[in-house]
Amino acid sequence: MHSTYFLLFFEFLKVGLFTYGGGYASLPFLYLMADTYNWFSHEQLVQLIAISGITPGPIGLNMATFAGYQTLGLLGAFISSFGLILPMIIITSQVFRLYRKFSENKYVKSILYVLRPTSCALITSVGAKLFYNLILNSKLDFSKVDYLGFALVVFLFLLTFKLKRDPIIYMAIAGIFGVCVYFLK
Amino acid sequence: MKKISFFDVFKVFLKIGIILLGGGYVIIPIMKSELIEKRNWLNEDELCDYYCVSQCLPGIIAANMSILVGYKLAKIKGALAAIIGMSFSPFVSIVIIAHLLNKILAIPFIESLFWGVNLSVIVLIYLALKEMWSKSIVDLFSAFWFVFILILAILKVNPAYLIIGSIFLGVIFQIVKDKRGNNA
Repeated sequence: MHSTYFLLFFEFLKVGLFTYGGGYASLPFLYLMADTYNWFSHEQLVQLIAISGITPGPIGLNMATFAGYQTLGLLGAFISSFGLILPMIIITSQVFRLYRKFSENKYVKSILYVLRPTSCALITSVGAKLFYNLILNSKLDFSKVDYLGFALVVFLFLLTFKLKRDPIIYMAIAGIFGVCVYFLK
Repeated sequence: MKKISFFDVFKVFLKIGIILLGGGYVIIPIMKSELIEKRNWLNEDELCDYYCVSQCLPGIIAANMSILVGYKLAKIKGALAAIIGMSFSPFVSIVIIAHLLNKILAIPFIESLFWGVNLSVIVLIYLALKEMWSKSIVDLFSAFWFVFILILAILKVNPAYLIIGSIFLGVIFQIVKDKRGNNA
């Protein structure tokens, strides 16, 4: 039991330390966690992404809280959030004192030059995974494709040319669409 | 300006945490109205600098920005007040939802609702990528590197190794560049 607390802390410390480029960049770590430990399933992880989007706060933090709570209750939620935040408190407040120099530093610039395409690729891999899980139902079989879901994604994609990037709009439209599908069935 | 206490910072970030809906980048307009326009604790240039620095740091952008602002206002005490304040309401709301999850999932149409919202996440990921793309994929190497990492990620290589490898490569690039500069 104690070792689970420690693992939870340590795993989210890793997420806090290795996430570059926003909440979705932490998803590959959470998928790996779902594979490694029986703390939460892939299905729960997908629910968690949806929940994080419709509650306040940064997605990364919401995920840590949710995963911690699923695993070990309130204390688990606290420990995973603390693990996530700790590296940020230490690193970021140190960086503050030299922040102008930091963002102008040639090594920092060079690292970011490589790191940015890396985090784009990690996020893309999550998108591909979600597409595979949700629309293809985790099978490469065309009779199992969720065509209605595919149509919804295409529709939302077309909306991105018209609407602002505010995520809540897309979630709301998709949620309402889902409820309508339920009542029409 | 009068000295800003832990509690002052905490209160403001508690509010920021409550209105922070739908992901990281909404923090910019919120901080602009709460910290610049209402309280004059920051100026536009500082906010812009903090955003740039936060993107270079590990972790969550909105959380890093809160720590930077808090540190500016009241040193380490302020940084702690800001991060605790900002995390408070997301933490409470997620715990409540997680606690009620089984009851929520039992509502008949909720599964369909989640089905829709989950699918929208694919589009949200696309939007996040679009935002990052032009700053990230700037030349032939970065395009190649993107494809290379994407293949490794799909083959389930541990993302931590990919991040560490990228950091090393970045340092090596700069060392090589410096050496070439000296030889020329």
